[in-house]
Amino acid sequence: MSVNLLGSIVINGLAMGMVYAMIAMGLIMLIKAVGILNFAQGDLLMFGTFLVSFLIVDLEIPMGAALPLVMVLWGLLGAGFMMITYWPLRNASYPVAPVVATMGASLVLSEGVFLIWGTWPRTMPSLFQTADGRPATVNLFGAEIQVQFFAVIILGALLMFLVWILTEKLYVGKMMKAAAQDKYAARLIGIPHLLTTMVTYILVTELICSAGYMVAPIFAVTKSLSSLQLKAFAGTVIGGFGSIKGAVIGCLIVGLVEAFAQVNLSVYKEAVVFLVLMVFLIFRPGGLIRSKIQDKA
Amino acid sequence: MIRIKNLKAYYGQIAALKGVDMEVETGKITCLIGSNGAGKTTLLKSISGLMKCTGSIEMEGEGELLGLSPRKVSRKGIAHVPEGRHVFTGLTVRENLEMGTVPWHGCFSRKKYDEDIEQVYEMFPRLRERNKQLAWSMSGGEQQMLAIGRALMARPRILLLDEPSMGLAPLLVTELFRQIKRINEETGMTILLIEQNARVAMKASDYTYVIEQGEIRLHGPSEEVRKDPEVLEAYLGKHASKGCR
Repeated sequence: MSVNLLGSIVINGLAMGMVYAMIAMGLIMLIKAVGILNFAQGDLLMFGTFLVSFLIVDLEIPMGAALPLVMVLWGLLGAGFMMITYWPLRNASYPVAPVVATMGASLVLSEGVFLIWGTWPRTMPSLFQTADGRPATVNLFGAEIQVQFFAVIILGALLMFLVWILTEKLYVGKMMKAAAQDKYAARLIGIPHLLTTMVTYILVTELICSAGYMVAPIFAVTKSLSSLQLKAFAGTVIGGFGSIKGAVIGCLIVGLVEAFAQVNLSVYKEAVVFLVLMVFLIFRPGGLIRSKIQDKA
Repeated sequence: MIRIKNLKAYYGQIAALKGVDMEVETGKITCLIGSNGAGKTTLLKSISGLMKCTGSIEMEGEGELLGLSPRKVSRKGIAHVPEGRHVFTGLTVRENLEMGTVPWHGCFSRKKYDEDIEQVYEMFPRLRERNKQLAWSMSGGEQQMLAIGRALMARPRILLLDEPSMGLAPLLVTELFRQIKRINEETGMTILLIEQNARVAMKASDYTYVIEQGEIRLHGPSEEVRKDPEVLEAYLGKHASKGCR
């Protein structure tokens, strides 16, 4: 394998891994801070990406104005998602009810996209284009690589770092975790449940929708964007369910495996990813990084 | 500090409190003893705003507490240490203590609480040793200390303790009550204590209420209640009169 091919595979793999990692991070934040496994993660991403494409391509709002606007819309999407799938069900006698509700929401979102924007794939202009509208590239060891890939890696890492600081280091982040660990005690202490939950949902939606926005110029904006979620799940399990660090590592592995499989066994690239997942499930079911917290009687 | 009048609370059709009158005096330790299901925890939950109830709960200088949300009650300076400790198991000891400051700290401010933490560490040196340990890995007694420490972080005017002795070894219980007494003596903290372990509770407290099936059966200074023949029989065992002095 030549150096230029290797370089482009690695960059491609890392970029996709970063996208999966952002989805997985959102997934784990919801598990840790709210206690909900969100099956609509991919559909939220897809819906958010269609929103951007609608604003930029259909309404022709210039990028500079569209991005702040779309951030607000994503936030509203997250808050609305929470108010519908979580808030009314939070005290349900059947504790899995909100999780089931996210499955329903997943259907509503994906069919909603069909109803609103139709079945045709849409395009998303890249931020990095040459004058004639083709994607800009850089030359790395003789291979032409889209700038968008680098942007995904750098921006993705930056966003994840910011979210990590917020949840792990700041006071509000600790409140979010505390509320998830013991709702009863959190209520007694005076932690505002609605606020911490909503902040979590909004952050998660912003995170995964930006992942969708960044990956969209590479693919097209279609309904199948929601299937990115599956690989994020795979990465999460490989990394060890429950740890953000593990999930990021797991997702990067998934991205790289996928990129290498694409070259040699392109038809089977999905299969290869899940084969790796199976190997992990058999030999290291706890994942790479195991969660330290256990329940104590 | 707190005056409760004719407090009634229901679980569905069942009355858990049938008109309780009670007073918690400022700077004193008041204890409420009673057997399982007598309504002890319900009473604390009513004060904290976790129960729907009728009657009146008045706090000195703050007015009526009845009908307020738990969050608002916590902001009035009432810190409730719940039964079964309920520490945040996935947070470290220090983070647990930090979370105790929520009532006066708010969500986004940057108010300092290092001194508060230092005070709690001085009170419970074990917590300082375990500073960075996750709370789930600590023993029951340490978790109870942490729960009390977390409540103190709220800078409360009154501390509500629900069965602090639950599930602890006898030696630890003695130690814990010594600490509770110390908090009261050193800081003048008003404490309302709920206990099944009547002997220890009455020994540590200034004033005792005995609750039975949702009604206050008798009350008086702990010294006197401790010698009351009825209490002796019901809570300390028939032949305890010899040993309990």
